Amino acid sequence: MSSPADRTLCVWCPDWPVTVARRGDPALAGQPVAVVERGVHGLVVRAASSDARHEGIRRGLRRREAEACCPGLVVLDADPAAEARAFEAVARAVEAVTPGLVLERPGVLTFPTRGPARFFGGDEGLGRRVHAALAEVDLAEAGVGIADGSFAARLAARRAAPGGAHVVPPGATPDFLAEWPVDVLDADDLPELLARLGLPRLGAFAALPSAAVLARFGAAGARAHRQARGIDEHPARPTPVPPELVETCELDPPATRVDEAAFAAKGLADRLFDQLAALGLTCTQVVVEAETEHGERLARRWRHEQSLTPATLATRVRWQLDGWLTSGQGTGEEDDATAGITLVRLRPDQVVPATGRQLGFWGGDAAAGDRADRALVRLQTLTGPGSVVTAAPCGGRIPSERVRWVPWGEPRDDTVGPEIPTWPGAVPGPPAARVYESRLAVSLLAADGEPVTVSGRGEASAAPARLVSDAFGDAEVVAWAGPWPQDVRWWDRVCRRRRALWHVVARTPATDVACLVVVEAGRAGIEAIYD
Amino acid sequence: MALATLPSRDPEARARLVEVHDRTRPLVLARARTLTVPGPLRPLLPELVRGSVVVVEGAPGAGATSAALSLCAAATAAGEWAAVLDFEGTLGGEAGAAAGVALERFAVARRVPPDRWATAVAVLLDGMSVVVAEVPRHARAGDAHRLVARARERQTVLVPLAGPRTPWPATATTRVHVEGGPWPGLDAGCGLLTARTPRVRVVAGTREQVGVLAG
Repeated sequence: MSSPADRTLCVWCPDWPVTVARRGDPALAGQPVAVVERGVHGLVVRAASSDARHEGIRRGLRRREAEACCPGLVVLDADPAAEARAFEAVARAVEAVTPGLVLERPGVLTFPTRGPARFFGGDEGLGRRVHAALAEVDLAEAGVGIADGSFAARLAARRAAPGGAHVVPPGATPDFLAEWPVDVLDADDLPELLARLGLPRLGAFAALPSAAVLARFGAAGARAHRQARGIDEHPARPTPVPPELVETCELDPPATRVDEAAFAAKGLADRLFDQLAALGLTCTQVVVEAETEHGERLARRWRHEQSLTPATLATRVRWQLDGWLTSGQGTGEEDDATAGITLVRLRPDQVVPATGRQLGFWGGDAAAGDRADRALVRLQTLTGPGSVVTAAPCGGRIPSERVRWVPWGEPRDDTVGPEIPTWPGAVPGPPAARVYESRLAVSLLAADGEPVTVSGRGEASAAPARLVSDAFGDAEVVAWAGPWPQDVRWWDRVCRRRRALWHVVARTPATDVACLVVVEAGRAGIEAIYD
Repeated sequence: MALATLPSRDPEARARLVEVHDRTRPLVLARARTLTVPGPLRPLLPELVRGSVVVVEGAPGAGATSAALSLCAAATAAGEWAAVLDFEGTLGGEAGAAAGVALERFAVARRVPPDRWATAVAVLLDGMSVVVAEVPRHARAGDAHRLVARARERQTVLVPLAGPRTPWPATATTRVHVEGGPWPGLDAGCGLLTARTPRVRVVAGTREQVGVLAG
């Protein structure tokens, strides 16, 4: 447990999301850019370009605060799939130097240096070699660091001067780490707490006795303490992986689209974790392997800071398959583009005893949830992954905008909570039970039989008298309200939409039907029925 | 043990002990395996017996969907799961939340091919506590009978959502007819649409109850 970690080299691409965005859109070069993602309290900055950081923008800042700090800021949504796809090219470049890469997340990769350092004449030689490989893919600004353990190597990569590698000599890692502030630890609230306890540097934290740290801060604290002392996060000699834990899935017909392959991979990840759980194990590193129709074998190793879960593993497999399936198309190699994936295999590479997961105290809810999950996944295999959905409320004005349907198995992201504030201009009245995403065509007619039109100033040509549709036939309008004009995204020339809304109660032979009618571009349609 | 060792000349203590024994006996009767219905439907249909079939029917726009959603809320309020089979993909999620459904334990199967309807409902019956299934056109009576049997076996409440053109072709424990009603609040060119109180008829066996759903 307390042996020093293996020598590790880390390649760290600073602000990788920004780099990817700038490559995708050359017009962004020279402008301050921030990439935002949805956090617990709305959109927060995940990465920012160096000029934006110079203006005071940092990770975790809210979007509005960031825009206030730097008025010319271009704010983009995070696209993890594109980041992973672009990182695959970087991984290939580094793979020319050494096999056995471990991807931690898009933007960070590590590998043990023991073999390659000897081959290339020491750590400095290896660092130069990796740097040259990165320069070939236009990533000269990426940092390369070598130290004991992946945590220290990552910090060394941040310290690296442009054009060179930062090498921490063997055994000097604890001294190197001692100077860093505690913020660099990956533990949620711990850095703030440590700073308040008067331990602003990793050195001071590392000097505490480890038994006391475990007693006071629990398993997460002990893990952070091991990091601060320069000991690898995971035991140096992990439990040997039982050979029967390899999960394989053959795809027939071969998958050429990412979602087909990723859907298979999700089942695979679930099976793998069920097997591991039966043995009381969890895994921290997984090799994703794929075979294509043309007999190519692709393999990539992914690692997770703490330990993987089925969901995080499935995301990583999806990114990886996306990288393989789309990178061939990008380079114009016809063979790669036509070759579908015929086989996906997950091989756990490093397993550790499972300690973290604990079921709910009463257990009942978890059992019902498992049962429901099994049924819904089975239904997905029958009818397709997109056909089983759950509703996540989100902001909007008309009913179809106010709910997002998330396919089962994907994160629902409802960190906003069920209490969404009502948008100004939202349709008043009770929520509608039937919402038509593709509106039902109707004609809203005046008493003289002419269609009711709404002028640019929001005035109706006449009072609606009849509602003619396939669903309800020719129905008399007994009550109505409106029109309410809406100018959607008026600041955006491309997405701008103008529409007018009516609440209409139509008398059908069976009952009175209340519906929301939307008039847009001269056409009326039923948006929702209050059923 | 306690009963045997108690002196037989103390009948009062013995009777009291027997009473405690009766009261704590772990016995679950069919009427205890129920889900409590929340919301305005409660006075007419206080609870759903697990394994039963509750048909909700009404013309489009009469309020049948909202009634079915409040039955889903009965499951999610107990910490269990509910699902809806929605052919057209038109269910309003917001109305579900308003009816009291916990959306994180609520799934919707959309755009299921009508020929796989029975299979899809059977799969949902395996995993959920309440399954609302829209009835397709020309649903086969054989399929429907099999689903009723499966619901009884899995102790799941099956709620077929039927319409005038899509009747439920099998037996049902309870039938909820939603007959609509006037919309208050809105008038010719003025007013504001407010929640209405549709007329509902609940038929359970020979017993029939009529009422309005007070919003």
